[in-house]
Amino acid sequence: MQLRAGLLYLAGAVAGAVGLSAAVMADPAPYPHKVVTLVTHSSPGGGSDVFLRELSKYLGRYIGATFVVENVQGGSGAKAMARTAAAPADGTVFYATTPTYIYTSLLSKPSKTYKDLEPLVNVFTDTEVVFTRTDGPFKTLQDVIDHAKKERGKWGAANPASLERQAAEQLKRAAGVNAAIVTHEGGGDMMLNVLNGTLDIGIGEIQELRSQLEAGKVRLLATFNPERIPEKPDVPTVKESGFNVQLVKFRGLAGPKGIPENVTKIWDEAVQKVLADPEYKKAYTEEVLVPQFIAHKDYPTFIDDFATKTESFLKETGAIK
Amino acid sequence: MATFWDIIHLLTGTPLLFVAIIGLTWGILGGALPGISASITMALVLPFTYTMDPAMAIALLACVYIGAEYGGSIPAILIRTPGTNSSAATVIDGYELNRQGRAGEALGISLMSGVIGSLFGLAMLVLLTEPLSWLALAFTPPSYFGLGILGLSVIASMTGGSLVKGLSSAVIGLMIATVGTDPISGVNRYTFDIPDLLNGVEPVLVMVGLFALTELMSQSGSSNVTQLKEAVRIRLPSLAMMNKLKRSQFIGCVLGLFEGLTPGGGGSIAAFMSYNEARRWSSTPEKFGKGSEEGVAAPEAANNTVASTALIPMLSFGIPSSNSTAVLLGGLLMHGLLPGPRLFEQNPQVIDSLYVGSFIAIIAQIAVGVVILPAAIWLVNRPRPYRAGFIFALILSGIYTLNNSQIDLGIALFLGLVGYLMRRAGFPFLPMILGVVLGHMVESSYRRSLVLSGDDMMIFLQDPICVGLLLTAAGFVIFSLTRELRDARKAKLEEAHP
Repeated sequence: MQLRAGLLYLAGAVAGAVGLSAAVMADPAPYPHKVVTLVTHSSPGGGSDVFLRELSKYLGRYIGATFVVENVQGGSGAKAMARTAAAPADGTVFYATTPTYIYTSLLSKPSKTYKDLEPLVNVFTDTEVVFTRTDGPFKTLQDVIDHAKKERGKWGAANPASLERQAAEQLKRAAGVNAAIVTHEGGGDMMLNVLNGTLDIGIGEIQELRSQLEAGKVRLLATFNPERIPEKPDVPTVKESGFNVQLVKFRGLAGPKGIPENVTKIWDEAVQKVLADPEYKKAYTEEVLVPQFIAHKDYPTFIDDFATKTESFLKETGAIK
Repeated sequence: MATFWDIIHLLTGTPLLFVAIIGLTWGILGGALPGISASITMALVLPFTYTMDPAMAIALLACVYIGAEYGGSIPAILIRTPGTNSSAATVIDGYELNRQGRAGEALGISLMSGVIGSLFGLAMLVLLTEPLSWLALAFTPPSYFGLGILGLSVIASMTGGSLVKGLSSAVIGLMIATVGTDPISGVNRYTFDIPDLLNGVEPVLVMVGLFALTELMSQSGSSNVTQLKEAVRIRLPSLAMMNKLKRSQFIGCVLGLFEGLTPGGGGSIAAFMSYNEARRWSSTPEKFGKGSEEGVAAPEAANNTVASTALIPMLSFGIPSSNSTAVLLGGLLMHGLLPGPRLFEQNPQVIDSLYVGSFIAIIAQIAVGVVILPAAIWLVNRPRPYRAGFIFALILSGIYTLNNSQIDLGIALFLGLVGYLMRRAGFPFLPMILGVVLGHMVESSYRRSLVLSGDDMMIFLQDPICVGLLLTAAGFVIFSLTRELRDARKAKLEEAHP
C-alpha cells in the first residue's frame, strides 16, 4: 500500500511539474466539495471507464477536487442511472453519458431513466466509421451501395439496439437499397465476419478497429461524423459521399436533477479548458475522440432531441411499442 | 521467436520465475474453491497487475489460468463439486474413484493429464498462433450454428438412462438461455422489467446452483459422514497407467485444441466432449461413470489444453473465446497492448514471457500440485457443518462479486433448489447445463445466418464447415440412440427372462 501511495505521489509530482512547464497554469477553480464521484456502467477497462479515468487525470488541474471513478455495472446502465439519480444533487456525483443510457431507458424501462438525470456537459463524440476488408471488392461507399442495388447487400452492426444499427438502417433508407442488416454481439464478433467476407461492410467505432487498421486488414470507406477525421483526411464523410446521414455518439456527464448553478458554471469552464490542455489533447487525439463541448444550458436539449429520434427509430423497427 | 539468450535473460533478469510460481499457486487455490471459476480467480488478481510491467502482468494472468484449470479438479474429485466450470466433467468419474478410496490416484491422474494437456496446448500456441489464425476466420455464422448443434448432440448420450428426462432437462436449459436481450433484434425477453436480467442468466449461476448448492443441500440431508483419510496423498500414476491413459489423453488434447481455437467453445464443452469421446473409444467403456481412470484423464487433458489454445484466437484477433480469455484480454488492454498480428512484432517481450512463464508454470505444477494438496485435504476434512457453511459463504460471495447483484444470488439459490428436486426425481444435470451454455450461440448464429440469407435455409447447406459439423452431430445422435434402444431392449428381455 505504501509503495502504491508513494508511486501515486511521484506520479502526481511528475504530472504537476510537466503541467507547470507546459502551460501557464492558473490554480484550479475552487470547488464546493473535496471528492467528486464519477459513475460509469462500463467495467474496468471498458469504453466509458477509460474515458472517465483519462478525463479525471487532467480535470484536477482545472477543478480543485479529487475525482474517483466508480464502476456500477449491470443492466446496461440501469443500475448506474439509479445510483446517480439517488445521489444528492450538489455536484458530488456524476454519470458518464453515452447513447447506451438512452437506449436502455427506452428499451428496458428501468425504474430511473435518462429523464431522471440532468445532463451536465458534453465532452466528446466518438468516431463512427464504415469499414470493409482491404482485399475485398469495395473501394468506396458508392461501390457498396451499387452492389446492394444489384444484389442483396450484407451490412454489419455491432449490437442489436445501438446507434450503429440505427446508422445502418438510415443509410439503407437514404440510399434506397436492399441490404440485410446483421446485428452482432460486440465489435470483435462483427470484425470476424467482415474479415472473412460474410459481410460487405461493418459499422463501428474506430477505437475497436485500431489493431486491424494498423495491420492493414481493413479499409475505412467513410465516417458518420459530421466532419472528416483530422488524422484520416482522405476518408470522406457519409454525407460527402452523397447520403444525408450523420451520427453523434456523444460522451459527456449527467448528474441528479437540480445541480446548483455555481457547480455547473465551474464545469462549463473547466471542460473547455481541459479539452484545450495540450497533453490531454495529444492523448485523446490518438484515441480518435473528437472534442465536442456542449455547455450545460444546451446539453439537455441535445439529449432530448437525441432521445426523441431514437424513440421513433425504435418504434419503426418494432423494438418498442 | 525468442532466442536462447532471451530466455536466459527472462529467467535471470526479470522476476518471471517468481511471477509464474505465484500465479500458479494462486490459480490452484482459487480454482480449488468451489464457485470461484478460473475467470473469477483471474479477475481477482487483475487489479494487482495494474502497476506491474506489462510482460510480467500478462504472464501472471496466464499462469493463474493454468493453475485454476488443475485446481478445479481437486474439489471435483474430493467433494463432488467442480471448482471451475470446466472441471464439471471430472466430477463424474473422479468422485467415483474417491468413493472407492482412490482419491490420491484420481488426483495424480488429473495432475499428470493436466500437465500433458498444458504442454500440448502450449506447443500448439507457440507453433500455431500465427499460421492458424485463418481457422477463426473460416467460421461464418452458419458454421457457428453447426458447432452449437454438434455440442447439443452430445446430450443424446448424456441422458443418464432416460431419454425423456434428459431431453426435458436440456429444454429447461435452452429456455433459461432465452432470457435477456434478444441477440438479433434487441427486444427484451422474460426480463420482467428487472434490469439484472437484461444480460440473461449467466451460465456460471446455473453451474454453481446446480452443482455446488445442490450438493451442499443433499449433503445436509444425508447423515452418513464420509471422512477422508488424512493420509490421502497424491499418487502420480505409474508408467503403465500413463500408457493406459494415452488414448484418452490424446482425445482430450485434440478436442481441447479445437475447442480452444473456436470462439464460443471453451473448457467446459471440451471437457464434456472429450469425456464422451474417451468413452466411445475406450476399450472399457462400461467403467465410465463407475470410476474410470480414463474418465478423469480425458476431461482434464482437454481443459488444460484449452487454457493455452484459447489464447490463440485472443492473441491473433483479440477475440476471447471464454470468460477467462476475456479477462486476459482486459489485462492486455489495461496495459495499452492491442492484440492482433502486430502484437507479435511490436511487443515480442510480452509474447516471450507469456510462453516462457506458461512453461515454467506447467512444469512447476507437478511439484506445487503435490505440495499444496494437504492444504486442500485439510479443508475437505473440516467438520461438515463448518465446511458446508464456509463453502456456502464463499460461493455466495463469489456470485455476488460477479455483478454486485442480489438478484444473481436469488437466481443461484433458486436453481440450487431446482437442482435438488431434479436430483431427487432422477433428472440429469448435464443436458441442462449444455442447453444454457450453447442455447444462446445456437439461436443467435441460426438467426444471424437467416438474416444474411434472407430467410433462405439453403445457407446452412452451402457452408461446408456447417455441413460437416451437422453430419457429425447427426451421426452422434443416431449412434447414441440406437445404443440406448438396444440397451433398453436388452434390459427388458432380461427382465422377462431372468
